[in-house]
Amino acid sequence: MLQKQGHFSIALVCVVLGIMLAVQFRATQDIRSSPKYQRVEDLTQRVIQMEKERNALLDQIRDLRQSNAGGAASAELESVRMGAGLVPLRGAGVIVTVDDTKPAAPPRSNNPNLYLIKDEDLLKVLNELRAAGAEAISINGQRLIASSEVRSAGPYISINNTNFAAPFEIKAIGDPVTLENALKLRGGVIETLQFWGIRIEVKQSANVQIPAFKGTFRFNYAQPVQDGGK
Amino acid sequence: MILPVVGLIIGLLIGTFLPVSMPMEYAKYLSVALLASLDTVFGGLRAGLEGKFDNLVFMTGFFTNALLAAGLVYIGERIGIDLYYVALLAFGIRVFQNLAVIRHHFLRR
Repeated sequence: MLQKQGHFSIALVCVVLGIMLAVQFRATQDIRSSPKYQRVEDLTQRVIQMEKERNALLDQIRDLRQSNAGGAASAELESVRMGAGLVPLRGAGVIVTVDDTKPAAPPRSNNPNLYLIKDEDLLKVLNELRAAGAEAISINGQRLIASSEVRSAGPYISINNTNFAAPFEIKAIGDPVTLENALKLRGGVIETLQFWGIRIEVKQSANVQIPAFKGTFRFNYAQPVQDGGK
Repeated sequence: MILPVVGLIIGLLIGTFLPVSMPMEYAKYLSVALLASLDTVFGGLRAGLEGKFDNLVFMTGFFTNALLAAGLVYIGERIGIDLYYVALLAFGIRVFQNLAVIRHHFLRR
């Protein structure tokens, strides 16, 4: 077995070893407070701080806009009214005329209904226009707003609760070239509809007139969130 | 066998309550030195079990090994070679070897 002397020196070394172990343990724990971690912490704090500042500034902007009843507020109101479709608009865009063929179906066709314009066909055109960046759209003088429907109602198509039959005249304000190209894509809307004998004409115009929405708004269920959507 | 364990516990306590904290840059050196001293302790135990324990060899071995290991790491860092790993590997292997010998010694009894 170990000699007495050896025992002591090993114990002594063990003391030193223990000190080193403990210090190393503490150092490893201190890594959390090392510059790298502290920097992450620091930056996180700063981001939070900046976000708070930004929100405060946004609030300030809103307050100033509200207090300044003149130019800024009315400009914002105007743009909101434009978005809601309450003002007649004009600008460059396209006029799309969609019409059935007469006679609608080729002779001995099984299903003449396929050769009529349906709500789906109009929706395809509208969707394409919206995707191409149309800013305002009307069909037969009916301004399309967020709550407008395009739906088949018996032999008619109902738009803003008004019934229409062919022909349809869709007006859209937006970049005329983009709008027309979007409709005339190979394999796109026009090609598909023409297969069913539906005639579509796209005409670019520098001055498309789109009327305002004539109906009224009535919100029975929706209510604005009071804290301003923060 | 009691005395080394008591020593270790005392050392741990001292280290825990020592108000000195080590800068991060030295953590590497300390870890290597730690392994070196671990190696020395096991080596000493082994030598003791084999009846070849020499106090002078043991004490000088402890300090020179620790310092040499730390110095090696320092040099490695200066010349851009990770001698750190070399030291870790060498001491690690020796720790295992010593442990194995100690284990054998106890098993043979």
